[in-house]
Amino acid sequence: MAKLISFDIDGTLETGDPPGRITMDLVRQARDLGYIIGSCSDRTVGMQKRMWETHGITVAFTVLKHCLDQVRAAHDAEHYVHIGDTNIDKYYAELHGFTYFFPDESIDHLWQAE
Amino acid sequence: MAAANEYKWRREKDGLGVWEHRGKVAVAGFGHSPVDRRWDGVSMDKTLGAYAMLACQKAMDEAGITADQVDGIVCCDSHIAGPSGGSASKWAPRPYFAPPYDSELGLTLVNAEWLIKQMGFKNVKFAPTKLPTIGEMVGMASQAVGDGVCSNCLVIYPCGNLEGRYRRGGENAEDHARGARQWTVPWGNHGGNDFINIFPHNQYCLKYGGKHDDLAPYVINQHRNGMLTPWGFNANHGIEPITVEDYVTSRYILNPLRLWDCDRPVNTATAYLFTTAARAKDMKQKPVYVLNHSQHNFKQRTTQPDLDEIELWTDIAAKRMYEGAGLGPKDVDIFNPYDGYATMSQFFLEGFQWHGVKRGDALKFYAGDIRVEGPHPFNSSGGNLGTGRVRCAMYTDAIEQLRGTAGKRQVTVRAETALAAFTTPSSGGWIMFGKHPG
Amino acid sequence: MPKLIPVADELSKPFWDAVNAKRLVLQHCAACNKLQYPPQKSCQVCGNAGLTWKEVSGKGHIATYIVIEDGRLNRRMPDQPYNLAMVTLDEDPTINFYSNLPGTPPYKVPVGAAVEVTFEDVAPGQLIHEWRVAS
Repeated sequence: MAKLISFDIDGTLETGDPPGRITMDLVRQARDLGYIIGSCSDRTVGMQKRMWETHGITVAFTVLKHCLDQVRAAHDAEHYVHIGDTNIDKYYAELHGFTYFFPDESIDHLWQAE
Repeated sequence: MAAANEYKWRREKDGLGVWEHRGKVAVAGFGHSPVDRRWDGVSMDKTLGAYAMLACQKAMDEAGITADQVDGIVCCDSHIAGPSGGSASKWAPRPYFAPPYDSELGLTLVNAEWLIKQMGFKNVKFAPTKLPTIGEMVGMASQAVGDGVCSNCLVIYPCGNLEGRYRRGGENAEDHARGARQWTVPWGNHGGNDFINIFPHNQYCLKYGGKHDDLAPYVINQHRNGMLTPWGFNANHGIEPITVEDYVTSRYILNPLRLWDCDRPVNTATAYLFTTAARAKDMKQKPVYVLNHSQHNFKQRTTQPDLDEIELWTDIAAKRMYEGAGLGPKDVDIFNPYDGYATMSQFFLEGFQWHGVKRGDALKFYAGDIRVEGPHPFNSSGGNLGTGRVRCAMYTDAIEQLRGTAGKRQVTVRAETALAAFTTPSSGGWIMFGKHPG
Repeated sequence: MPKLIPVADELSKPFWDAVNAKRLVLQHCAACNKLQYPPQKSCQVCGNAGLTWKEVSGKGHIATYIVIEDGRLNRRMPDQPYNLAMVTLDEDPTINFYSNLPGTPPYKVPVGAAVEVTFEDVAPGQLIHEWRVAS
């Protein structure tokens, strides 16, 4: 069963405001490693979709920050991860059964092939 | 330079009658710096100080005057959206730079003395310190020009934001609650207009019917007006209009206060040039006259202001303003109240009875046609919600509407008078502008 | 709940001393027979500076409430989401207090319900006044 990574945008992705540590290339690598990927942000769903389209990345989900439960309901995965830069990211991730990571070196292992 | 802190300029009493300088003071220019989400901490051309100077220059250029002609500087001693954030506003220690940026001044703090020095104003004779916010500064400048304290007065409002989460440091990071905070923060109220207004807003919905999400049409329209404001944050940063779906599914901050009910902190500065009506006639722009300014500073009677107090306060503010302007609700064409949180605008709308809106009617009014093209162009400025926490959109829009230069925001109804404010129900000020001095 | 700890000052010390003794006392103006909270140097109605402290019943009602989901106080972050109610005092409903309504789950607040004062530890030797829905 696949693993799933949810990315916050602002403060987390390089396209965010402020820009975060995670580049679009890293996102593509995650996809290529077989992760189910998508975004979970305070940006409107429409803005999230357009951001991914702009970078030519197809994602499995785009949800609001407090709606990770929808991701869990829609996608079977053996492990759910959310990466975001605020305590609110942590709160909603843990509320909905995701493992939470701050976008720092603590996430590097996710990109290492098992 | 005369010390001006003792200057009695306020109009914050009832029964003052029509303002003695009605129509004798005018706004002759304005200038906005770029509106950034935050200062990046390194770009010296994007500091709050740099932006304040840029806004001043733009306002002078628009009016067609030089720095030598400026004899009044009214500048908020701003430190990250003003002093209201307390020590929580000052959360970003950073290295300093070469002079003049070798202190906090110019980076995140701007005041009149610093501006005078940096911009080489040689003839300033009025530069008060320890000023309140823009809502009162425009009144102070109007009175000063009317009284002859100065003739060409720049009003500068810097409103800053830095990296990191807004106001998460300082006293908000402490374990203890001191001073007035001992009565609020132990239970979770960190202080601010979000808390002040959300409880009365809940009481409002209980008393008059309606629900919180009935604010959606107003918030959406503010964003729409913001997209029609070329200098604003939203119009320049790829922010998209929001829909009802976006609004009602958005996350709560202080439930029922939603994310979209809150403005977006930004790093920017705005300046206005106030002058005498006589001088304004010879400047580059069509003058916009000041018909009155008024202030209010009400003391809450207990822990949390309730709906009764908020309604009383806004009733008094309206009465005071209308009396001083010699106008009534039916005379006001443009109405730009403050919207830093969407939950407070209805109190102003009903207090001032704009377009006949009475207590309890605001949510129904929002559901009607409040677009700028329509018959009830409420808050045509887009306010903070549409342009970012600039706190000046209300004034700039009022000026542009009366000049007839509001572009896509230009209302289709009559635009000869305009009320604008950065104020909360408890404290701040209002200003009435007129297309004509009489 | 790791609430912030109030620091008493000269004006508020009698209030917090009473709270630490599990008593709710408010300022009282004999001249106009008004209670006052939070404490001030003089009566906000008549200006009388000779205020005394008067114990009140500790009964009130919930006027309205919000739920803090994304507040700014670091110390309270782990508590989110939590209720913040506005409680009016029965002796004088123009006086209100904040309460997190201990015992009432977030979002499950019975607006209009009667409440009673209770006292909660926030630090060794420091209580604060809280309110519980009356049983």
